[in-house]
Amino acid sequence: MTETKTLTFAFMDPPFEHERTVTFFRLLDSALEHGANVRVFAYEGAVALSFAKQQPHGNAVHGRETEEEDHPMSREWVAAMQAKAIEKNLSFEWINCGLCVDERGVNEVIDGCGRGGPPDLWRYASEAFNTLTIGTR
Amino acid sequence: MSKYFFVQSQDPYTETRTGYQYQLMQSLHDAGHKVCVLLVQNGVSPARHAAQSPVFDKLLSSGVKILADEFSLRQREIASAALKSRVDLGSVDLVIDAMLSGNKVIWN
Repeated sequence: MTETKTLTFAFMDPPFEHERTVTFFRLLDSALEHGANVRVFAYEGAVALSFAKQQPHGNAVHGRETEEEDHPMSREWVAAMQAKAIEKNLSFEWINCGLCVDERGVNEVIDGCGRGGPPDLWRYASEAFNTLTIGTR
Repeated sequence: MSKYFFVQSQDPYTETRTGYQYQLMQSLHDAGHKVCVLLVQNGVSPARHAAQSPVFDKLLSSGVKILADEFSLRQREIASAALKSRVDLGSVDLVIDAMLSGNKVIWN
């Protein structure tokens, strides 16, 4: 039986800002599709990706109501990754940098996302088969 | 020999550092390492036939394997037929393949 490998990702981009966020989630999805356990260390603006109070909105300029606009919520993308991992009997862990959370006041996160700090990134990277750091610049 | 896999999201038209990133890839290749590059996001821009980028073309002619993310191409309405001849199609699945096979994976 092949041993399940664990991949760690470090990400710092906030939601609703950059194309990197989409690419990042595509990578997470692919990792799960490949049968890998996934660990994410979110720091700086990325701690808001799992913020539970994100709210969709309509688009008055284009005359679309909230449902019609179907604004993407990164908290839903995180939840989708969690669900996919369960479906595939894999683990999906997500830790937000606590200092970054406090700075931004985004303490309320969706279930399954934890709070930690740089030692967790060290632990994640040390224990993983491989690690990718996606820097903003 | 090490295996390097670069995820290249930056492009030479908006980030001057991109030229240095290309140089690093070529240097690693010239030193005998296996180097593969996946262009993503705006990183696919210099891969178009009509795109003028001497630093990218130099890398392309160096023998480094270069692929362009199909999703990023579709977002920009760049057809595969519009790519320079040495650029192949790829996807982010290749990044995970590289990670799971022990490549040193670097995001630019």
